[in-house]
Amino acid sequence: MKNKPDILEVLHRATTGEYCTQKEWDTKKIPLTISRILKEHGLAKTCDMENPVNMDMELADKFYAAGYQAALELGYLCTDTDRIIAVSQEELDDALKHAPSELTVGEGKDATVLKARTPSDPYPLKAATSLGITLSEDIYADMAYLIANEREVDILEAGSLTTIHGYEVLSGTPTETRMGYEHGVMHREARRKAGRPGMGGMGSISAITEYGQFGAYGTPGGFRNTDLALILFPSEMKVDYRTLHKVVHTLNMGGIMKCDSPGMIGGMPGPAEGAVISSIACALLSYAILHTHVGGGEIYDVRYLATVNREGLWALSMTNQALSRNTHTLVHNISNQVSGPGTENLLREIAAGVSIIAASGASLTTGPRSAGGKLNDFVTPLECRFLAEVAHAASPMELSKVNEVVKALLPKYEDSIKEPDLGVPFQKAYNMETLEPTPEWEAAYRKVKAECIELGIPLDA
Amino acid sequence: MTTQEILDGLKQAVIDGDEDSAASFAAQAIDAEIKPMDIIKGAINPAMDVVGQAFEDGDAYLPELILAGDAARAALDLIIPTISTDDLDGSVQGTVVIGTIYGDAHDIGKNIVSAILAAHGIKVVDLGINVSPKQYIEAAFAEDADVIAISSLITTSLPYHREVINNLVDRGERDKFFVVVGGGPVTAEWTTQIGADGYGRDARDAALVVTQLLEGLAEGNKAPLAAPILVGALEHG
Repeated sequence: MKNKPDILEVLHRATTGEYCTQKEWDTKKIPLTISRILKEHGLAKTCDMENPVNMDMELADKFYAAGYQAALELGYLCTDTDRIIAVSQEELDDALKHAPSELTVGEGKDATVLKARTPSDPYPLKAATSLGITLSEDIYADMAYLIANEREVDILEAGSLTTIHGYEVLSGTPTETRMGYEHGVMHREARRKAGRPGMGGMGSISAITEYGQFGAYGTPGGFRNTDLALILFPSEMKVDYRTLHKVVHTLNMGGIMKCDSPGMIGGMPGPAEGAVISSIACALLSYAILHTHVGGGEIYDVRYLATVNREGLWALSMTNQALSRNTHTLVHNISNQVSGPGTENLLREIAAGVSIIAASGASLTTGPRSAGGKLNDFVTPLECRFLAEVAHAASPMELSKVNEVVKALLPKYEDSIKEPDLGVPFQKAYNMETLEPTPEWEAAYRKVKAECIELGIPLDA
Repeated sequence: MTTQEILDGLKQAVIDGDEDSAASFAAQAIDAEIKPMDIIKGAINPAMDVVGQAFEDGDAYLPELILAGDAARAALDLIIPTISTDDLDGSVQGTVVIGTIYGDAHDIGKNIVSAILAAHGIKVVDLGINVSPKQYIEAAFAEDADVIAISSLITTSLPYHREVINNLVDRGERDKFFVVVGGGPVTAEWTTQIGADGYGRDARDAALVVTQLLEGLAEGNKAPLAAPILVGALEHG
């Protein structure tokens, strides 16, 4: 049995693997390979728009086999060297065999344990909140503390910073290195202030390049090596030295990491079915090439800039089911919302996406992406709480029941996905004196929560 | 081959993303003395409309859009030099240098905008990803560009937008180029704040902004505009 490649061997392959330009990769290699594999496995046009939650486990297993084949045929393209980092079947199998099926994030009584799950598994999906929506520096500390203080939230990610001490952070420069350090310290302080000093963290979401990560992860007072290093890389199935620097740094620190990159519906792999195959392949390779502890399986629809549309939700269910049924890995996923804080539809979009991720067997979800994640300060702790509540409550639900719930929620918001109500920023959704939600936002939360309970998500249990 | 057969062949070659075939049909069209603007309007633009609509409808995907843009560019490289001033007939002409700004490796939105602009006969110089403000400006001068188009998905790359504009201002050359910005974290407010000339929320919006700027240029407008052209901006609280 051949072991998975050592990280130095991975770096060697990044300079010696098969030559392929990014153009060739994006417009030929990925689309033609995925399209052929879709046909070979009889998976073309299997996306069921009427049933956004897949309930055919045989089909999920077929998608896994197709994704596994794609992983072996494709590998990752290193865009800094135009070389393909490929792995053999033995190496991939070894990486999957030795990937963790249980992982403690954080320390002591405040820590969270991620476990490999299967669909409708009673062990709950864990929630890391929020996504890295940018926050004004003057509210970052309050926001991170308030999110950490939401007891349903398992892991703190919180937002990202674009200034430090009033100075703009320029990615790729020493200001980013310094920002990484300051972000890590503020993040730890938020957890301590919330009375959860050992709470797991994930970061640094502010680290766009490796410089921010060098400043944040493993530095004294910053992210600990029991926190998840956050390593995002470009679609489709592309890595660069920026990604590999972060991986090597995490390994140097003896840390743990979550590496992920979404399969893009409408992008290089084509339709929803192609994005599922790409996403599975990408996740599997992350264990062999990036040595990750938690892998991805994300989906994003480039036409809607969301994942809470019908095809996105179907692809989410399929990817999670395929990976959770056929590996013992820790699967991470994101449901990308578009509506903003203060709107009922943001909560409905969270309920639809997260209930699918939970019941389809993922181990960890991150979110929400309030207002599409595009606007400064457009996130609040209240929707973070709701996301975590849904993650926990929906985990043991039968897929057929989740399908019914989502089919009831979709008609309420899907017509507005392309022109969503972006809502209001934190400063208007919360009373800035008491740091509590405004009565209107609290009422919207109670209304949608009651709606979800009525539909069958056991949020009252 | 009749004029219509040549135009139909060119249209299909662009739809198929076949660069060689598109160039071959374009050469045949020129040899057959079909007016350049008739080639563009009768074959290339309708072909890109077909591919663009298929992308919107979920029947075509990003690779098809990029390859169709490349095929259109291969044909236009032959056609454009044959265009005389009399042929222009109010059509949009110009050169755009485009790229994803420094610190950012996301290129999907930028690629879509490039493909759409190329299909409209606009010369597009794609600088790729991780492009520094200095590289944008050097390329804009080297290509004698009309527009600098900046794409971003990363918020901490946004300050580099301003740096492009400030750099042009400090050099006393802000009037040389229109600057348009777009991408996930970019908003109408940001566009106005930094003194850019245009913003489009999605790729089609961005392409529309660029064509409007170039039309304005032909009518005598100069950079910087007193107020930017904003297309597709969403309102929020």
